[in-house]
Amino acid sequence: MTISSESIDLHAVKSALKKEQNKILWRQIMTNGSLVVGFVIIAFLILVALFGPLLMKHDPNTMDVLNRFAAPSADHWFGTDNLGRDVLARVIYGARISMGIGVVVAIIASMSGLIVGIYSSYYKWLDHLLMRLSDGIMAFPGLLLALALMAALGGQASNVVIAVSIVATPYIARVVRSEALALKEQTFVEATRALGASDSRIIWQHIAPNTLSSLIVQATFIFAEAIIVEAALSFLGAGIPPPAPSWGNILSDGKTYIYKAWWMTFFPGMTITLAIIGLNLFGDGLRDLLDPHVSKAKNNE
Amino acid sequence: MKTYLLKRLLSAIPVLFIVSTIVFLILQMTPGDPALVILGQEATLEEVEDLRQQLKLDRPIYEQYFNWLFNALQGDLGESYFMNDSVLEAILSHLGPTISLGILAEIIAIALAIPLGILAARRKGTLTDQSVMTFSLLGMSIPNFLLSLFLILVFSVFWRLLPVAGYKPLGAGLWEHLKYLLLPAFALGTAHAALIARMTRSAMLEVLNANYIKTARAKGVKEKWVIYKHALRNAFLPILTVIGQSFLGLMGGTAIVETIFAIPGIGQLIVNGVMRRDYAIVQGAVLYVTFAFVFINLAVDMLYGIVNPQVRLDNKK
Amino acid sequence: MNSATMDNEPILKVDKLKTSFKTERGKVTAVDGVSFDLLKGEILGIVGESGCGKSATAQSILRLYDEKQAIHEGEIWFEGKELLSLRPPEMDKVRGNDISMIFQDPLSSLNPVFTIGNQIAEAILIHKSISKREAYARVLELLRLTGIPAPEKRINEYPHELSGGMRQRVMIAMALACESKIMIADEPTTALDVTIQAQIMSMIVELNQKLDMGVILITHDLGVVAEVCTRVVVMYLGQVVEEADVENLFTRPLHPYTQGLMKSIPQLDCDRSKPLLVIEGTVPSLHQIPEGCRFATRCPFADDLCRSKMPPMEQYAPGQRARCWHAETISKKGEAIRAWT
Repeated sequence: MTISSESIDLHAVKSALKKEQNKILWRQIMTNGSLVVGFVIIAFLILVALFGPLLMKHDPNTMDVLNRFAAPSADHWFGTDNLGRDVLARVIYGARISMGIGVVVAIIASMSGLIVGIYSSYYKWLDHLLMRLSDGIMAFPGLLLALALMAALGGQASNVVIAVSIVATPYIARVVRSEALALKEQTFVEATRALGASDSRIIWQHIAPNTLSSLIVQATFIFAEAIIVEAALSFLGAGIPPPAPSWGNILSDGKTYIYKAWWMTFFPGMTITLAIIGLNLFGDGLRDLLDPHVSKAKNNE
Repeated sequence: MKTYLLKRLLSAIPVLFIVSTIVFLILQMTPGDPALVILGQEATLEEVEDLRQQLKLDRPIYEQYFNWLFNALQGDLGESYFMNDSVLEAILSHLGPTISLGILAEIIAIALAIPLGILAARRKGTLTDQSVMTFSLLGMSIPNFLLSLFLILVFSVFWRLLPVAGYKPLGAGLWEHLKYLLLPAFALGTAHAALIARMTRSAMLEVLNANYIKTARAKGVKEKWVIYKHALRNAFLPILTVIGQSFLGLMGGTAIVETIFAIPGIGQLIVNGVMRRDYAIVQGAVLYVTFAFVFINLAVDMLYGIVNPQVRLDNKK
Repeated sequence: MNSATMDNEPILKVDKLKTSFKTERGKVTAVDGVSFDLLKGEILGIVGESGCGKSATAQSILRLYDEKQAIHEGEIWFEGKELLSLRPPEMDKVRGNDISMIFQDPLSSLNPVFTIGNQIAEAILIHKSISKREAYARVLELLRLTGIPAPEKRINEYPHELSGGMRQRVMIAMALACESKIMIADEPTTALDVTIQAQIMSMIVELNQKLDMGVILITHDLGVVAEVCTRVVVMYLGQVVEEADVENLFTRPLHPYTQGLMKSIPQLDCDRSKPLLVIEGTVPSLHQIPEGCRFATRCPFADDLCRSKMPPMEQYAPGQRARCWHAETISKKGEAIRAWT
């Protein structure tokens, strides 16, 4: 049976197929509760961080000494702190700082983790070296390591980024490495090599793209962790120096006055919790969506 | 079994080595001269130099490192720059609170998590199950220092039930001792409870589908025993793994919780040490912590071997 | 051959048993109005393809399904008790005690973290209040009874240390622990080597004779059925389609499905130039059960009556019942069997 090319419009078939695939993808996304809820939360927080200041009537740094320790009211939704500053404004600006750092760390750790992970998986000698190093870094609590690094580097936002990225990189490297190792064994790699592709080409054009789905999921969780670590560092006084309103700083002030002004702890705390929950949900949802193995296993439960 | 243990111990050595090197390097990079800090701003240059020579701070880095390492291997971790103890003494005296805290936190975690996990597995798909899962997600998401703060708000500020901070050793009486540890233990344990509950649930679900559970029921075993004797024993393996791994993380999390609740444990020791540039303490304490991690890992593996006869019998097929 | 006694009273009476499961795609009825009796001392075979509901029937008798997902209707009578209406503690007393069951894969059916001695002893200790020492003595007895060599050593071994055949013997030992009146064997030899199969089957026959224990043997292996069973029940898509003495089943099958099964068994002396008989078509899914006779979609004799109305089980010959509108005519015409070729 022969098929004449005039009788089938290849282009139409292709675009119809694409539409169908998009529909299925859309349905998968919409039915994924975690993904949707997580996304909504994160989007909301990002929007507030970006555009909040435009809508705010108060400035995070203006001190209103007469109005210190004011409980939440119509004028100050989250109350004021020990220097009379509006807590809501500080939280919103804090979102910029803390979430900003989180994003940057996630990106940097992703890139460095990708490089480390991929090259480890490919070259045995590098693997031994880098993995031992990673083990060392992961061997003790991230917060302590970050703390020590901050002490060495000095308390600035850029150093926080560096310190937390260093702590986070091994986790991504591990994930990428294990994906890459599995991929390396697959026949398409052998085939590409048989065609004469160079190592570099195989690594970057073939293996790396296939590790991306795991990488993105992991990066989401790193984003969450980075927010937590930055907050902890600032809380201990080793992170962003005051008076910058990082979430950790606000909490630190809150702790000092916890008996006098519960709102100084409660609202920033809730915001951080919301951000973390949103990111965790999003990451879970993303993992279900991108990793077919996991979703099959979950269906068997 | 023995060869396995030996191999594990040996592979821990390079890790310890790397960790101590990293810490040493970081501390060296840290600005601020301990001698200056100890003596204060008014000290003369001579006095500072003298102290530096005494503390061997003027030697080249690698020499300092090897000196330290050499001494450490013999159990001598040096003297704290700021406290009046040797590092070893400082670590030992701070060990108690951390261990109490860690154990209490783990007990709370397990006591909450396993029954909840089993409940969720038995009532899979129902509202009970979904509630447990939602709570565990919440528990995993809230960072422990935040939870500490919230707990303080509720239990110390609103309801003056428990003290905000402080510590009393066991000698002062059990309830006194526990009073100060309850909130921090809860703060530490919750995230791990969440993880353990999830693992318990999924392990139980998997095991309950197994054929030998059908056999047990066919023998007439009462449902309660089916769950707790036949199923749990088998599900315990992965649960134990999670408990072991989470215990490690738990010990790591003590730093900030101890600081918030003013508990004089190892975590607080390290945090203070870093802030004060007390190199000796930080190196010694970090080494200790890492060693403890490795040791706990090993202990969990051994426990695994006991619980699972297949592993114990060393690959008899 | 086997102990088909003069005593014809049924010890188990399954009456219109129906078992449905709630699934994501709706309610599925795996066992649909199954009725049969197990007579004293006999070995009753239940045969059918995978998915025909034979295993589900067996598990329903012992109520092994989670009754939040599975709904049972009908009645099962044993020693004057209606099993489906017993409360769970009472049913626990029946299981393993009066009625026991062995399963297909002995490796996954034994708990890997307990010794076999422990597992067999448990079967005893749940139902009898004797001391541990007495229980373990009985365990040794049972191990000897089921032909396991060096029982004193085996008693402390774990399931993965034993071979497949021995594991199945252990399962049988567990089933015999309380001298059950009925043993249900769900494909006991499917997962075993052929030589071991023979050993296990002959042990089951021996136990049936020695202990006067009724056996319900679930299998898809007609060879085993011919060797060992007294009577046979044939199932298709959740229903019983034929019930007969084993001889009649093989020599004069009434239901077209049974006939097809018989014809499709390769014979040692058959004409190898002819292709093996295959029953055309596939078993319909339990989610889409056809109207009328369920076998009509694949039956060479099917007509409009078959496709519209479900035939009842009727007795068409002494001791032989079938669910077919045309069973009578088919049985009369000997050539019917030839119609299959």
